[in-house]
Amino acid sequence: MSEASDQSRERVPKTVQVPAPTAWPMIAALGLTMAFAGLVTSFVVSAVGAVLLLAGAVGWFGEVFPQQHCELAEVEPAAAPVIAARAAAARLAVGEQGHRGILPLEIYPYSAGIKGGIAGGFVMAGLAVIHGVLAHGSPWYTINILAATAMANLANASTAALSAFDPQAFMVALVIHGIVSLLVGLLYGVMLPIVPRNPIFFGGVVAPLLWSGILYASLKVINPVLDARIEWRWFVLCQIGFGVVAGLVVARSERIHTFQHLPFAMRMGIEAPGVMSKRERG
Amino acid sequence: MATAAVSPIVPPVHAQWNLPRRGRAGILALILTETAFFSIFVAAYVFYIGKSLSPPYPRDVLSPPIVNTICLLSSSITIVLAVRALRAGHTRVFGLWWLVTFMLGLEFLAGTAAEWYGLIYHDHLTISTNLFGTTFYSLVGLHAMHVTIGLIMILVVMLLTAGGHLSRRYAEHTEMLSWYWHFVDAVWVVVFTTVYVIGR
Amino acid sequence: MEQEIALSAREQAELPLLGRLHEWVVTVDHKRLGLMYIGGGLLFFVVAGLQAVMMRLQLAVPDNHLVPPQVFNRFLTMHGTAMVFLVGMPILTGYFNYLVPLMVGARDLAFPRLNSFGFWLWFFGALLLYFSYIGGDGLYGAGSAPDVGWFAYAPLTERAFSRGNSTDYWILSIFLTSVGSTATAVNIITTAFCMRCRGMTLGKMPVVVWLAVVVAFMMLLALPPLSAAQVMLLLDRFAGAHFFDTQAGGSALLWQHFFWIFGHPEVYILVIPVFGFASEIIPVFSRKVIFGYQVMVAASIAIAFISMGVWAHHMFAVGMTPAGNAFFATSTMLVAVPTGIKIFNWIGTIWGGKIRLRVPMLFSLAFLFQFMIAGLTGIMLAVAPFDWQLTDTYFVVAHFHYVLIGAIVFMIFAASYYWFPKATGRMLNERLGQVHFWLFLIGFHLTFDPLHFAGIHGMPRRIYTYQPGRGLEGLNLIASIGAVIQALAVLVFVINVVYSLAWGEEAGPDPWDAWTLEWSTASPPPEYNFAVEPEVYSRRPLWDLKHPDDPDWLYE
Ligand SMILES: [Cu+2]
Repeated sequence: MSEASDQSRERVPKTVQVPAPTAWPMIAALGLTMAFAGLVTSFVVSAVGAVLLLAGAVGWFGEVFPQQHCELAEVEPAAAPVIAARAAAARLAVGEQGHRGILPLEIYPYSAGIKGGIAGGFVMAGLAVIHGVLAHGSPWYTINILAATAMANLANASTAALSAFDPQAFMVALVIHGIVSLLVGLLYGVMLPIVPRNPIFFGGVVAPLLWSGILYASLKVINPVLDARIEWRWFVLCQIGFGVVAGLVVARSERIHTFQHLPFAMRMGIEAPGVMSKRERG
Repeated sequence: MATAAVSPIVPPVHAQWNLPRRGRAGILALILTETAFFSIFVAAYVFYIGKSLSPPYPRDVLSPPIVNTICLLSSSITIVLAVRALRAGHTRVFGLWWLVTFMLGLEFLAGTAAEWYGLIYHDHLTISTNLFGTTFYSLVGLHAMHVTIGLIMILVVMLLTAGGHLSRRYAEHTEMLSWYWHFVDAVWVVVFTTVYVIGR
Repeated sequence: MEQEIALSAREQAELPLLGRLHEWVVTVDHKRLGLMYIGGGLLFFVVAGLQAVMMRLQLAVPDNHLVPPQVFNRFLTMHGTAMVFLVGMPILTGYFNYLVPLMVGARDLAFPRLNSFGFWLWFFGALLLYFSYIGGDGLYGAGSAPDVGWFAYAPLTERAFSRGNSTDYWILSIFLTSVGSTATAVNIITTAFCMRCRGMTLGKMPVVVWLAVVVAFMMLLALPPLSAAQVMLLLDRFAGAHFFDTQAGGSALLWQHFFWIFGHPEVYILVIPVFGFASEIIPVFSRKVIFGYQVMVAASIAIAFISMGVWAHHMFAVGMTPAGNAFFATSTMLVAVPTGIKIFNWIGTIWGGKIRLRVPMLFSLAFLFQFMIAGLTGIMLAVAPFDWQLTDTYFVVAHFHYVLIGAIVFMIFAASYYWFPKATGRMLNERLGQVHFWLFLIGFHLTFDPLHFAGIHGMPRRIYTYQPGRGLEGLNLIASIGAVIQALAVLVFVINVVYSLAWGEEAGPDPWDAWTLEWSTASPPPEYNFAVEPEVYSRRPLWDLKHPDDPDWLYE
């Protein structure tokens, strides 16, 4: 560093060329504005504006032709190159484990999230069916309610109709439940390693409560008919069931290192020589 | 954790450092924004084709200004020849081609003026007659205004040449002016197609 | 070749007041012009903000008579127009003016005189708009400002419906400021592409500069449609043309299309710069590099592209075809993808960092949350049937104020606290800054959170009063109290600026231990910016200089 700064200090010039200040552009702008303003005031204003615009343009041209007008600014004897880290923080040594690491260092594999989603989905479905049997004497009740989010005609159906088996509703509910379970499982797999402290508590309790709260608050406005059919205590229970199980499955799986620190070519499996610099190959 | 020992790593020396020229980037940016401006007027013209409630209609009164178009488009060639001559240092050849460019542009303006004169006094089409008049005069007029601005700048350069102030040093500047002129030409191609081909 | 010697900073300070003023008027220095943009913008911010407070006071209680209806219409028009064209645009272009050359290691913008022309055009255009209060009715009446709303829908702005000259003032002044902005855009693009210092390849430009380029391109493409439509309207009003004259077969919808082809990208012209500020401030106060530099830039470019094709989501209620509705609803929702990426990138930057909760960072954190909520209500409004229900209600007002204040104004404040020491050499007071932040945060949420619900309850926007007994009283009263608190917060900010200019703590060249080139020169920077033209090797040139043993360029 010291060598380099010595050199640069030698290169510091005494003066620097800067463009000379000029009022012509401002006069041109004033002229243009007045030329416009004449339209709503008086012809005279436009005429004066046109003259100013012309004068400004000619003056401006004179500033750059045949040579740009410049001034010499004296370089101030600044205490300039103030370049030092302020805080004397302890830093990882170059090459040390975690130096220039890309966070997070470890993640769960995507498969863990999928497994968690499947497991949680089964538990949730089981809880929901139990609720249907206990409250309405039919395992199909909650299934039909879920299908009703996509099938408008079901939302207005009678309780009796909702308690009966409907193959179409069953298929719709199965698809919705399956896809959402998988996606939420994946989301858990991605998010849990970056959640501070206890991931199972977050994934199993905090997230389901937040989600239920949002839904509870907004469903009244979005779909009041459906809202009237939902028993919120059971709803929360189902969500927590999913969250805890999915969280457990994810958290118990093996963490793997990310490969973000490796060069792009290596992550893509390209082994052509010359693709990576020497440094990247390590 | 340990505080690293200071062992500076010397950065690589930059080989060449070439950046595009300011004038070129500036003029291209200007052309881009002008293109957006024109395209709205063209869109309005196309949108109102055939929507006039009263005559005159385009097919009755418009005839394609072929001579005008040839003049304007060929001025794009002469301006290139002029700039090339200036780059080579032949100021007099430059002045000659530059003058030809100016005359061709002037012819275009005069032709447009004649066309408008006929439309206004013979066909009684003004900007307030109908939608055709509104869109025709505003689109063609906008283009003619750009031709006029270009001609004024060309005239200034011509006067400087006559006064002996122009040299090879300004080849780059005149080339930028020629880019603007090409743009005006290209716009004319679009305007011509819209007004005299599609719109008729 | 003879050349004059420029006055040094000290010599300038010794000039009499008039002389110093003259130095500012004739300047072509990008830093001074940038500060003039920002200063002018803040001035109009106060004016237009006071108009907003007046409107909120009028709406505080039902059937109020504080502001008469005609005056209310003028207030809402001038407030909207000024906040977009005289506050948002100039402040943000002012920052770009100031920062872009410093950040790319150049001594000035590419075309310094054009820059001065652009500024003065903007400034005189702005004065012309306010002059309408005196000359708005033309020669035959007293003055009155435009009252046609900031989007001035034709044919209601035709001569037949909008008499006098007030609408002409709106057209002419906004046209002039747009030309000024275009000049700045040309300058920024040219500077970023042609003036970078040695070693600063496009991939090593700071994110702010990248986003400045994106915004400049958007200005070049989005401002002309407005200007063109204004020219058409002017021809209608003065030359008897029929562009928007329905009686002659003109379209009542064309203006709306042209306006929103400009109007929607305009929102991004205002918000993308503050994305840039966030991408600069959040890393410095998290002590980490920006997460996903390339993706950040790519997402911004994607937003710019998509935003050009979504304009008609402002027009769901005019009755387009179902295909049109579906297209514009879908393209609008598509914006959420790159926007979401950016939010994740900022969170990724903060995550695991050593966060310093100074005032710029506080504003940035508030920005993150508020911008996300604004985005969510935006997606709600992108759903065409939902929009039919809520269009022209206070829900829309609350939504876009969440963007314009919750995101943009908050980040402008963050940037002010962050770069004030660079521009003036003194720190803004931290304690006053904290007071400012918390007051503004509370005031903002008191005002705009309830307005969402007022809108859902069906309160229409732009109406000067409302009737009692419709469940709107409480919400509006809270909103008005919030507006007053926001005004107080801005007052604290103004006091802070004045106080700190005189007695603020000396900043030194690099008070935040930051990494971009502007911090390598003195505060305030000398006229020539850098005595020696810098040379860079990575995206964080100052990190490389501070840590020669562990430079960034090894890892980029
Ligand atoms: Cu929009």
